[in-house]
Amino acid sequence: MDEPQSWVRVGSSTLDDSDRALEEALDQLRLEHTPRLLIVLAAPRYPLEGLADELQQRVPGCEVIGCSTSGEIAPAGALTHALVLWALGGTEVRVSTGWGESREQGLRQAAAQAASCVERLERRKHTVMVLLSDGLGGDQMEVVRGAYDASGIDVPLVGGCAGDYLAMRQTRQLHGQRVMSGAVVAAAISSDRPLGVGVSHGWTPVSEPMLVTDSRDTVLRSLDDRPALEVYLEFFQPPQEVRDNPQAFADFAATHPIGLRRRDRIEMRHITGFDADSGSLLMIAEVPQGGLAFLTEGDFDSVLGAAAQSTEAAVAALEGTPPVGLLLFDCVSRRSVFSEARVQEETDLIAQCSGGIPMAGFYTYGEIARTRGSGGFHNQTLVTLAIG
Amino acid sequence: MVMQPSWSLHLLSEILAAFSTEDPENLRNVVNRVAESVEAEVAAILSDGTIRFCIGMTGDERQQLESLASSRPPQITIGAGRLNSYWAPLGEGNLLVVGRLGDTFDVEERSLLRAMARSIELSLRMLEAISAERQARLDASYQACHDALTDLPNRLLVLERLCRWTQQPPDDGACGTAVLFIDIDRFKWVNDAHGHAAGDELLVHVSRILQRSVRRDDLVGRLSGDEFIVITRTRKPEAASELAQRIITAIRRPIHVAGTELSHSASVGICLAQPGDTASLLIENADMAMYRAKALGRGRYALFQPSMREEARNRLALEEALRHAVGNGEIVCHLQPIVRLVDRQLVGFEALARWKHPQQGLLAPTAFIAAAEDSGLIEGIDLWMMEAACRALGRWQQLPGLEHLRLSVNLSARTLSAADLVQRIEPILAASGIAPSQLFLEITETSLVEDIQSTTSTIQGLRHLGLKLAIDDFGTGYSSLLYLKRFPVGLLKIDQSFVADLGSDPEDEAIAQAIVSLAGALGVSVVAEGVETETQEARLLELGSDYAQGHLYGPGLEIEATERLLIEPALPRSEPGPSLKAIDRS
Repeated sequence: MDEPQSWVRVGSSTLDDSDRALEEALDQLRLEHTPRLLIVLAAPRYPLEGLADELQQRVPGCEVIGCSTSGEIAPAGALTHALVLWALGGTEVRVSTGWGESREQGLRQAAAQAASCVERLERRKHTVMVLLSDGLGGDQMEVVRGAYDASGIDVPLVGGCAGDYLAMRQTRQLHGQRVMSGAVVAAAISSDRPLGVGVSHGWTPVSEPMLVTDSRDTVLRSLDDRPALEVYLEFFQPPQEVRDNPQAFADFAATHPIGLRRRDRIEMRHITGFDADSGSLLMIAEVPQGGLAFLTEGDFDSVLGAAAQSTEAAVAALEGTPPVGLLLFDCVSRRSVFSEARVQEETDLIAQCSGGIPMAGFYTYGEIARTRGSGGFHNQTLVTLAIG
Repeated sequence: MVMQPSWSLHLLSEILAAFSTEDPENLRNVVNRVAESVEAEVAAILSDGTIRFCIGMTGDERQQLESLASSRPPQITIGAGRLNSYWAPLGEGNLLVVGRLGDTFDVEERSLLRAMARSIELSLRMLEAISAERQARLDASYQACHDALTDLPNRLLVLERLCRWTQQPPDDGACGTAVLFIDIDRFKWVNDAHGHAAGDELLVHVSRILQRSVRRDDLVGRLSGDEFIVITRTRKPEAASELAQRIITAIRRPIHVAGTELSHSASVGICLAQPGDTASLLIENADMAMYRAKALGRGRYALFQPSMREEARNRLALEEALRHAVGNGEIVCHLQPIVRLVDRQLVGFEALARWKHPQQGLLAPTAFIAAAEDSGLIEGIDLWMMEAACRALGRWQQLPGLEHLRLSVNLSARTLSAADLVQRIEPILAASGIAPSQLFLEITETSLVEDIQSTTSTIQGLRHLGLKLAIDDFGTGYSSLLYLKRFPVGLLKIDQSFVADLGSDPEDEAIAQAIVSLAGALGVSVVAEGVETETQEARLLELGSDYAQGHLYGPGLEIEATERLLIEPALPRSEPGPSLKAIDRS
């Protein structure tokens, strides 16, 4: 059979044994043609090194990037502790990939290095840059800035921060056979068929706006000149356990993020923890000092509704071209809002909105979507990439 | 009801908060913040038409924007996008420009962009001032821990880094830390022979080689003088040896310095870090291993072994004892007779150093000469020996019938390379009254050939004094004919290793024969050393050797004993001449 202009296949497995899991996921891909790009989304229990070596043997001639996750998405819905492969191919699709480590050069430069793969790309009509970064590695705004430095205004950015099932210790990124931490990996995708991006979160401000009076990098020290932690706890009045137990606090904060006033929208910032001594909130990305912040809350329906909005926006951006596959970057804290009992409702809704096409994704520590302007780091958000 | 304050107020607040006097680089973040706040795709600060900071533009697009700075059009094309632009003047010659797809910048945004222009202008000026000050501070702190000549980290920084490396276990699968101590062989003579500028050039050359030989994460430093250090993380111990060999091979390639091609080598000591090792211990160990590499013949590497520490301690103890011995007069001068083979007539002496050790008795040179060379004591010993022997011989030459007596004294390579050697020998000759033509300076051919470039001028100086060289151990080393022609060689010595088997080993005989023939052709005399039997003597006579020394003719004796046993009996009995006792012995 002739290869289609563009195609997406997804395979997944929850088998314990890494080799067998890869075998099962590859079987499900039912590859008829060599993919241009393979994205590996693996729960931390699967060793990325072994997967990378095996993929090199089994699917030669294909660009490979990937990362560790905090939950995975496959056509069957939301998974836990799974391995998911997202394969993209087609006669009209071109891909180049890159990587950069932040340890010595910083996040911005690492992201710029990874995204500079766009210079090697055989450019077609539509181009998008997929970024996978280390959400525990510093201010993720810098990842967007660095990738934007290299890719310019014509290339939308999408992506997410690798996870480790909320252990918050180490996440990993994969490029080819190179497995790293504190890194950014990128795949520039170009196609003659359209590529669409959708972004939505569904959170709403519940507090008065507050001036961010002291904030640097990922530490939010004060709001309206009062310790940020004090303001936060006073407003929400959570149970005592949330004040005493860091894990309980993290669970609570997952559904009570900070909202940032942007020009025509609210951008979300995820709270990862607190520092009781300084009364600070610890964030996944910078909350700019001088900015306006809100305390927000998500209710089940609005957050679920955002899933539909994100998917529909991505598909709509294809301007009539039917989508062949989706790649999803869904914030791990959204999963907390849905709870494990109802998490499938979100993935069912996404499948329904996109017509049941192959989809894959992962639960992230932060999402990237830059389609307009120069910023584009999000939290608590669903970012959807639709492949036309 | 959630209050929605004016967007423009918030915009101003957020952007102004991004200004920082602590971090001038932050101006780049200000540009980001401006763009992110108004959702602009591009933003730039231009000074006199040149972009200082910008985001969202490639090289070509930047140039394009710069070309528009004078016309400041309301729309600009960047990539595939046509952007609405706004140009806000920032005082003299500076501009802030933003470009956005879609919406134009409304009056509120425009007025705010203009309002912040003054702050950006001030920031630009502050940036220039702070940058200069910061650069000066950085330069000062850089200079404090870097070597000015090679720009490599100095001892301070090397120790600091090594300390950190030894305290942090490797996180990249490397099995450990290896320290390589690199020392340029015979660096001193490059300085002496070609001047310090040439020495500096060689040091810079070696530093570049080292930097090229290591990986990005390794550290190359200069400890002092010609001592360099490489610190590397290794996955296997052999990797350190391979690196050392690569360095040695690369350094061995000749370079052009001061208009001449310089052949040089380096010796490398390797120490693999063990848990608990301190930075200074590792460097010390690598230094010891380097010392071993030099002792093994230079231009090679050696791996540190714990036994080297013991050896080093012994060596230090020996050097200390030797220093004491020199000061205490325990080093004594023995004279071994040299005879004419045809009639066994005494023709002179070779001065030999002995150590009258208070506990161990009389020690031969093999027990202490190496330590004397390493510690530098050898120069003093050599010259003291020369002075003592010359003084004695000078007296004896005044006796009737003994005017012909000559003297051989040993000079080590180190003494030979001393820049002021000629000036130090001159007064010895003058005080003793010995004729220069009757003093032979014995040097090994190895020291002569290996240091040929550094010693040439010294030897020419000795030639001017009228002195001649005796080549010790001839035939065991290079046996180069070049220096026989080039230098004032008056004597070749057949090494005792060839003499020992004369009459039984045809090869040794052939070598001895060759030396005699060569000497004959060059008009140079031959002395065979270590002659112990009459068979050897007979064979040497047949081969045509001129002179001999060895136990057959007498051992080395102290000056007083020599005088009593050899000089006095040699005086003519019939005609009373000046007796030894009448000669001033001061």
